[in-house]
Amino acid sequence: MQDLLINIFDKPLGIILAQLISATRFTIYLSLIAFFGGGLLALLITFLRIYPSKVLNYISFSYIWFFQSLPLLMLLFIIGLGIPRFLGQDFDPWYAASISLIVFTSAYLAEVWRGAILAIPKGQWEGAHALNLNYIQTLRLIIIPQVYKYSIAPTVSFLIQIIKGTSLAYIIGFQDLMLLGKRWANSPVIGSEPFIIFPIMAVLYFCLCYPLAIYAKQLEKKYSIEN
Amino acid sequence: MFDFRFFEIYRSSEYMNLIFDGILISSSLTVISGGLGFIIAFLLAASIYWRVKLLNYFSICWIDFVRNTPLIVQLFFVTFGLPLIFQYVWPFWAHALLALTINFTGYFGEILRSGFNSTPNSQLEAAYSLNLNKMTIFRKIVLPHTLIKMFPSLSSQFIFIFLTTGIISEIGVNDLTHAGLYIDSRTFRTFEIFIILSILYVALSLLFKTSLEVIYNKTLKKRM
Repeated sequence: MQDLLINIFDKPLGIILAQLISATRFTIYLSLIAFFGGGLLALLITFLRIYPSKVLNYISFSYIWFFQSLPLLMLLFIIGLGIPRFLGQDFDPWYAASISLIVFTSAYLAEVWRGAILAIPKGQWEGAHALNLNYIQTLRLIIIPQVYKYSIAPTVSFLIQIIKGTSLAYIIGFQDLMLLGKRWANSPVIGSEPFIIFPIMAVLYFCLCYPLAIYAKQLEKKYSIEN
Repeated sequence: MFDFRFFEIYRSSEYMNLIFDGILISSSLTVISGGLGFIIAFLLAASIYWRVKLLNYFSICWIDFVRNTPLIVQLFFVTFGLPLIFQYVWPFWAHALLALTINFTGYFGEILRSGFNSTPNSQLEAAYSLNLNKMTIFRKIVLPHTLIKMFPSLSSQFIFIFLTTGIISEIGVNDLTHAGLYIDSRTFRTFEIFIILSILYVALSLLFKTSLEVIYNKTLKKRM
């Protein structure tokens, strides 16, 4: 691919493009890790949030509240720089970036899903109770199939936030599109000035995010007509 | 190894001053760019609503582009790219202000646009049957409806962007995160300083949230 790009765009720009595009996959990997890891954690937290127990509700409420008001940057600094220095031990940027993004994602997704569960009419719960379904069965058979409709569009649009959030991970030395692009922009090579590199990076991020934005909009339309 | 030394930070008046200045700069930059961004976003969304020729296509592209690229790329482009093209020299905070304003216009524009579109048809039909002209309908019906309905999303978006403003420290603005990084480089108390900063950010976002709620209750809630 690099040869093709060099043929089209000439020497410095072709190499830069090839490198930036190949670095994009780390952005994608990190986003996927954050999305699936955060999604699993968010499932647990949502479950605790709606489970009929005051203490568990309170714990998950404070978790969501705290991590929603905490900047992602601070999470990255604490986990990527603070904890290694505190423990006197090195920490791979991959782990630090993944953990911070998973925590960040879980708080927001849990809130989205909780809102979707609250949007379901109370009659559904009562109906399930009348049918003698237990709590887990109610969730599995009645609530989750309906929650899916409400929550899929905001979940997809939150994936965009995650992809944009991964761009911060370069601060702790995570090698992705952002770090590589910044290095090229700082390099003295002619043809890699900041006003060329940063628009290219913006376009790459745009190509990742915009299809998701369109998809989210379509989902929103689809399910709003059905209701 | 396992020792907390918060006192190294709070006993030094220099560090406390840095943190205090950082709080002021972070929050004032966010508030100013939020205000400017709201005004510009309003114009963009209004141009889409009124179907102003060409300008509406520009607004749609602008909003979509800003919403789908990270703030940090916008920030670096504004700080390092634009001055090279147009040959100007600005202080760091001005670059940060410009980039944050751009970011705010995208998000607020999208919220306002969907708010304008979500006015109930029955209200519009009632207004048409009263023979109100388009401008009056916009001013008296669409706009208040949008502001009341979209205020929660606007305020949570404001908080969300406030939480990401920490990255303006990357270009050298003396904001709260910058103060933290400076103190960290002096004392090597990374864990402690970032815990302090986290608490400050949480407190600030809580402050913003409550003050926005007070504004909402004082101005808009009465008109519901």
